[in-house]
Amino acid sequence: MISFLLYIAVGLGLLILLFLAVFRRTPRAEGSAQALLDARQAVRKLQTGLLPSEFVNTIFSDQDWQYVTATTSLPIQRLFMAERKRIALAWVGQIRRQLICLQDFHRGHSRHFAHLNPGVEIALAVDFALLRLECRALSVLLHLRGPYGASRIAGRTAAAASRLCETTEQAISFLTSRGAVRVTNDSAQGGAQL
Amino acid sequence: MTPPRVAHNYERETVTEHPRRSDVQAAERDLQLRTLCEIHSPLARLIYLAGLRDYNTGLYHHEGLASRYSEDAACEALADCHRLAFRELLSASLEEIVGHLESYMGSTATAPADFFAAWNTLRPYQVAVPAQTDSLSAEFLFSNLKVALAILESRYQGHTASAPAA
Repeated sequence: MISFLLYIAVGLGLLILLFLAVFRRTPRAEGSAQALLDARQAVRKLQTGLLPSEFVNTIFSDQDWQYVTATTSLPIQRLFMAERKRIALAWVGQIRRQLICLQDFHRGHSRHFAHLNPGVEIALAVDFALLRLECRALSVLLHLRGPYGASRIAGRTAAAASRLCETTEQAISFLTSRGAVRVTNDSAQGGAQL
Repeated sequence: MTPPRVAHNYERETVTEHPRRSDVQAAERDLQLRTLCEIHSPLARLIYLAGLRDYNTGLYHHEGLASRYSEDAACEALADCHRLAFRELLSASLEEIVGHLESYMGSTATAPADFFAAWNTLRPYQVAVPAQTDSLSAEFLFSNLKVALAILESRYQGHTASAPAA
């Protein structure tokens, strides 16, 4: 009986492993052109679409709310609040998704970088983890207190995400053609060419 | 006789694919001075410029502008102005958007009830955003327009209710 249960447990374990293998994310070649392209797109989306302070202020500033409360009825106030909350949550969700993309890129990229600085890499990993945590906390706050209950945290999140974007841009620039030319010029005559 | 024709076509294609930036800027200035300066509201400009875009190709057409410059310079100039109108509307406050919507409604000479019915059901503003607009920016503008429409509708309903029956 005990051996039968053991077989069942092993079978179940294998089944779980099989499910995990099937439903895990599609593997991708680390450091591939696609990873670089995704990272570039994520940086562009963050810098031009999601993080400009003017856009963040428009979403989280209570100027529109003051106008709505002063001039409209309760149903319209409710409609406005629901709409603004939806937009604020979508904003945090998109920032989080782009951060995951950038973090994936850094993880893959660091395996190909010969002159790694462990201190910098650890600090970067901590920054990513903290920022993702902050995004989660911001989502919860937005759910609980609405779009105007967390405007300061939203501003701080946007500023931190901007800093990570700059770091990623530096990492991406290493892989651009200018970097490749520099490496070629540094090579000794008759050496390998890129 | 064939080679020169091919060469001519090639040259034309090269030119049309990449209009000179100076041509595009000149076409933009022309468009601003002759047409867009008459359309004061960015919402009206957005809808006007979206109306000049072919739904099937995504390219903008303006006969007058294309005849003075090139078809492609005109297309890029219209696309630039469209993006500008979108950004202007995106950064506007809700109060300003309500004002723009009211002004646009007035310019269409449509009965307010018909206007509200059409805009609430068809949501024409959803097809008026420039191509490659960030999805959240577009969603934010739609959201503001939805609320602005509700505010304006409630105001007009209030006016209708308070007006004495004929």
